[in-house]
Amino acid sequence: MNAGAAVPSLRSAVEERELIARARLGDGTAERALYDAHVDRVYRLSYRLAADDDLARDFTQETFIRAFARLDGFRGEAAFSTWLHRIATTVALNGLRKVKRFHRREAELDEAAEMVSRGRAAEPDLKSRLRQAIDALPVGYRTVFVMHDVEGYTHEEIAGALGVETGTSKAQLSRARAKLREALADFAGEWAS
Amino acid sequence: MMHDRFEERLRDAARDYHTPPPVPRDEMWAEIAARREAERTRVVRPWMRWGMAAAAVLVLGIAIGRYTAPQRDGVPTASDVVGAAGTPIANGDAYRVAARQYLSRTEVFLTGFRADARRGKLDSSFTASARNLLISTRLILDSPAGQDPRLRDLLEDLELVLAQIAQYEHGDDAQLIDQGLDQRGVLLRLRAEIPAGPATPTQGGAL
Repeated sequence: MNAGAAVPSLRSAVEERELIARARLGDGTAERALYDAHVDRVYRLSYRLAADDDLARDFTQETFIRAFARLDGFRGEAAFSTWLHRIATTVALNGLRKVKRFHRREAELDEAAEMVSRGRAAEPDLKSRLRQAIDALPVGYRTVFVMHDVEGYTHEEIAGALGVETGTSKAQLSRARAKLREALADFAGEWAS
Repeated sequence: MMHDRFEERLRDAARDYHTPPPVPRDEMWAEIAARREAERTRVVRPWMRWGMAAAAVLVLGIAIGRYTAPQRDGVPTASDVVGAAGTPIANGDAYRVAARQYLSRTEVFLTGFRADARRGKLDSSFTASARNLLISTRLILDSPAGQDPRLRDLLEDLELVLAQIAQYEHGDDAQLIDQGLDQRGVLLRLRAEIPAGPATPTQGGAL
């Protein structure tokens, strides 16, 4: 998984349960440990969806503030990460709806830098077209596509985070890919080779 | 086949989609901690108001008790202090009033705890309230009101029960606490110590 590499993992589910119990009692060290264990994935997902560092920070902070404030409501029926990602996706998608800044893309400078460093790993024209095509996807398709194909979440994780069935996640990913294939049809010949 | 290749190339290219910068962990945590702290000081939860009221009554009771305690150096004694109804306030009455207030609140708390425990609807506000009441229990045990042997026995049992609730984690704990309440007859004894009517100094002697 893309996002998993740099994430410090908790030693066990038992340890996580203990941290949650301590955090419920207001233990700041336990809150920080939970934050450290999950913040990378939450921030990365927020950034991929928002394409803006300020927004990604806002969404991440809001996610953890809400999570700690509502920790009493976490019953342990789902994994803590699932529960946390449900908050994260709600915060991010509602936030994006409100600010509407996700249409503003900071493309050119980043792209120029990546063109120099990456060569043909992903062609600049393709990257640019792909980014536009992903941006143009309906929000549901885009969220599932980013979570699965970009950040490496499983369909089970996506279903838990978005509160949908696993089959819905799979169907939305399939439709997202179909739309991207359509949008990138002129690359088909090159990709078939 | 062509679809497979397309999806493989698509996933490969998609990894560059809005590539995140390094995660600004400490900066975000500083902001989260500051907002959490601001929230804690701004929001006074109901159980905290309740606890603060109980603590205020205790402090007031202890202050009155000290003021009305016998003095050897000519300072007014208890018999010089007259209650609102014209009757003297006996030494230790203030402590007893504070103790009675505490017992009433503890009875309400334990009744609520037991009802919610039996419905399986406990939440962590109970543990917070139990911790608060534990402090009051210790204060009363250390006050002259705690010298009454019968009250002292009850307070020690309450201290044990409240400590168990303060440590509450899951449903099995609630069952054990509930059984403990029954076996020691804590609620019955608690109710027996609380007379009907408001707790005022002129109704002393209930304890």
